[in-house]
Formats: sequence, structure tokens, C-alpha cells
Amino acid sequence: MGARRIEGIERGAPITITVNGQPVPAYAGESIAAALMAAGWRAFRRTETGHAPRGFFCGMGICFDCLVTVDGAPNVRSCMTEVHEGCVIQTAET
Amino acid sequence: MSLIEIAVVGAGPAGVSAAVTAAQAGAKVTLIDEYPRAGGQYYKQPPASFGTLRLPASLADTRSVQHGRELLAGLLHPNIDLRYNTLVWNITPDRVLDLYGPQGGSRLQAKKVIIASGAYERVVPFPGWTLPGVTTVGAAQLLLKGQGLLVGQKILVAGTGPLLQLAAVQLLDAGAQIVAIVELQSRLEFFGHASKLFGQWAKIGQGLENQKRLMDAGVPIKFGRAVVRVLGDAQVERAVVARVDSHGRPLAGGEEEFAVDAVCINFGFVPATELTRLAGCEQRFDSRFGSLATVTNPDLETSCRGIFAAGEVRGIGGVEVALLEGRIAGMAAARQLGYDPDAQDPHREWQKARAAVDALGSMFAVKPGLYEAIADDVVVCRCEEVTAGALRVAARAGALQLNGLKAWNRCGMGRCQGRICGPIAAQIVAAGAGVSVESAGAFTARIPIKPVPLGLVASAGVEQSAPTAMEDHVGYGKAIV
Repeated sequence: MGARRIEGIERGAPITITVNGQPVPAYAGESIAAALMAAGWRAFRRTETGHAPRGFFCGMGICFDCLVTVDGAPNVRSCMTEVHEGCVIQTAET
Repeated sequence: MSLIEIAVVGAGPAGVSAAVTAAQAGAKVTLIDEYPRAGGQYYKQPPASFGTLRLPASLADTRSVQHGRELLAGLLHPNIDLRYNTLVWNITPDRVLDLYGPQGGSRLQAKKVIIASGAYERVVPFPGWTLPGVTTVGAAQLLLKGQGLLVGQKILVAGTGPLLQLAAVQLLDAGAQIVAIVELQSRLEFFGHASKLFGQWAKIGQGLENQKRLMDAGVPIKFGRAVVRVLGDAQVERAVVARVDSHGRPLAGGEEEFAVDAVCINFGFVPATELTRLAGCEQRFDSRFGSLATVTNPDLETSCRGIFAAGEVRGIGGVEVALLEGRIAGMAAARQLGYDPDAQDPHREWQKARAAVDALGSMFAVKPGLYEAIADDVVVCRCEEVTAGALRVAARAGALQLNGLKAWNRCGMGRCQGRICGPIAAQIVAAGAGVSVESAGAFTARIPIKPVPLGLVASAGVEQSAPTAMEDHVGYGKAIV
């Protein structure tokens, strides 16, 4: 259960990204949030104060809940950022 | 600093319409948008690499999608300079814009600026609303339209308004199970409102069609109800729904529980006024929607000369109004620069469209009881994790306005700058302090309007307050308005 790619849609080229050190399949042009959710992630990080899990919420770059680390850069909005071949993503959901 | 003719901020329906209209009149236009593609949320385009998205019938090949394609094709006009992936993070009354894009920071001055910054979704918190798997309705639609991805497979859609049913049909057509639609208005209220649409047969027809689709699929529409809590460990697993009274206050007993993997909420929309407020443009309080909206004259020029506002930023009006307002602003800005737009004057059509929306305005309002019912331990400010209880304490102790909250807590001071929690906090503070929502106000618009690298603000020479320890990740600036 959870997010699922709709079948029958012509997507970008299949690529491989690295999430927390593990290879994860994705498609060129996908947002990082979409790739993570399709691979089973719901929580992307924990909050600083309450240690509460957070993930994809507004989908349009205004809530800053879906932040991940991308190629070493922290606090990147995964809903606004596209994957690229070989990109290295670090989540912090535990 | 470069001087340009017209800067259009926002490439949604209003912004694209404004840019194309002004360019066709002969003006040189720079269209700036934070996203990698034009279209905004309404005409969301999938990535170019996706080829043709073969989406379900309710999402693709509709008149609206066709119209969006035609509109966006106008952006190929040689007078239009497109700047995607670029945030306008500051604007001054004399139309100097600070940008942050792929090449870093830059600054330009425009003879005319058209702000078409759109809107956000309104949400009302309940216990568990920060759990992963709870999203806005728009977020689920954007995933579908822009990424070909379903947010979940057992989805509960909740809030108020016809959008819930439309989104449910789209998700259903894409293969999800919709466990229920939870509509705040009672059945009587909902259909009573719909009757005010008399004469708008296309809208009524679409509404009826949606309801038939939902009925055929066995999707229950739970009128006069609200989600009172969602449960789950690290993600949403169950949603509890209760009946509400006419005031919006949940009633005890008769709760229903649904197994879900996603809950999508929407209680309407809030105009995105940060930029017009930063520029110092006059705002009005739109009591029908309970939020600020930017004031303009009939040519859509704001109280700041040369700065225009078009679309949702003037007050929630929907796509038809936004397209017309884009044309009006585009024509007026071009005319002020000495061009002679030969397009037909859309004012009459626009007034008709706005009047129709005004009739809809108060129909699907959020009910105050829903805010009163938010338990003290529920987080309201998602960024700084400030609870409803903390807001009530502050309100009782003398915080009569959102801007006064900072003496008590950090509500609205996180990365989202109150975009999500502002409208909620205004209701809670107003109720707690015994003042109107209008006088509780909104959080001050601050620079940069969204986080940009700290050094950028400093090097732009824009005055800003020293960042605190908790702000070291971004450069929140000095209060302007």
C-alpha cells in the first residue's frame, strides 16, 4: 500500500538514484518526492524539536515539510527538485 | 542592474495570459516562475522527458487541458523571455526585483510588474494532520497530473467544496480506492449552495457528472462531517470521522473509522499575497474567505504605481477569472508603455465571471466551530511545532495579532513563514483574544519570501535582522510591512 505509479504512462528514461546508500529506481524528470514515495517512503525526515515524522504535504514548495539532503546539500524541497542519474539522497526519517 | 519593460511574476493561468497579451501588444516581457515549467498548479505540465502522459479521461483531453496547451503555446512569442526555476524573493515599491535562480542571485528593475502569484490551499488541523500520508488535495492532484503517481491507494478526501468531488473522481479514475469524501457542509447546505449557481450550467453539469461517477463507484459522500483525528505510527493508517453541528463543532458519538493510506484535505484557498504586501500594495480583508487579497483599480493596477496584480492574489476567483485578469493587466501594462493592444477589451466578460464567483464566495466557508474544536495539544505551526494551546495562552495574555505572537512563541517564524499556519492561527488568536479575524491579521511578509542562501541576502545589500540560532539554515530578513 501507499503511493503507486500509474501504469501505461510514458515516463522518462529509467535511472538509478542512491537513497541512504541503497540503489533506488527512478525515471528522468520525476521529482525526488515522487521517486521516494513510489519506492515506499512516506516519512522523509523528523522534526528538530518534536522528533515527529514528516513527508510530502503541500506538493507545491510552500510547506517545507518534505526536505531531504541531495548531493550533500541539506534542506532541499523534494517536491520541487527533479532526480538526476546518480544523485545521492539522504533522508532522516528515523 | 538591468532595466526591463514588463516583469510578470508567476507562470500560472493569470501570469501566462498577462505575458502573452503584453507581448502580442509589442512589449518586451520577462516571465519569472519558481517552477521548471509554465502552467502553474492548474495547468501543471509533466516533465518534458515524460512524453505524452496518458492520463485517465477525467484528467486528460478535457477542454481545460486543451485550452491550457493553447495558452502555453503563446509563450513561444519572441518578445517573451522565460526565467524558470527562479524565485522572486524581494520586491520594492519602485519595482526592483531580487531573483534567485540557477545562476544564483540577480537583480532587475522593471518599468511595469504584474504579480500573478496565485494561491495556497487552506487546511484545518486535526490530531495527526502532520503524519506522512496526510496531504492537501492539491498535492494529490499535482502528483497525478505532474508525475503520474497516486498519493495512496485507499484515500479519504476531506474538507469542503466541489473540488473534493472532482479530485476524488480523478483519483478514482487513476485506480485508487476512495474510501469516503468527508464534506463539512450538510447535504442541505451543499445543494442549497449549488442552486445559487443558477445559469452556470456547465458547472452544474460537471458537478452532477462527478456525483454520478462517485455514486456508481460506491464512494460514500459524508455530508456535515469532518475528520476528527488520524492515527498511525510513522504514517497515516486510520481516519476517524464525526458529524459536526451547523457551527462546525464535532458532535460526540457516532464516530466512523476508515482504514486509509492517505488523507487529502482542502478547505478552499488563500491568496498568495507576500510579494504585493512586501511592495506595500494596499490589501483588503476578504471576509468571505477570511484572508487578505490585493486591492487594484479596474485596470488591475495596485496602489503602487506600475505594479499590477492578476488572478488569485486579488481574491480567489478560479481559472476563468485568472485568465481574464491576466489579459486585462497585460493590456493595461502594455498601454502604459505606449503600446496599442488590439485585443478585445475583456472587462465586461470579467465582471460577469467575478460576479459568478462572488455568489459562490461564502458558500463553502470554513466554520468557526472547527477551529474552536482544535485540541490544545494539536500542532498548528508545522515548522516550529507550536500548538493550538500555546496560541490560546498567548491570545489570552494579550497577543491580539499574529505579529504579536512572537513575544510568546515562534508560530509562523519557520521556513514556511506562516503560509500554512497563518490562516489557522488567525482564527485561533481571534477566538482566544475576543477580536475579529480581520484584526488578528496576517503574519508580516518578510524577505526573502522563501529561503535562499544567507549570503545572497547580505550581498544584495538588503537590510536584514541578524539571524538567530534557529534560523541559521536560511536568511530570514527584516520585517518590511
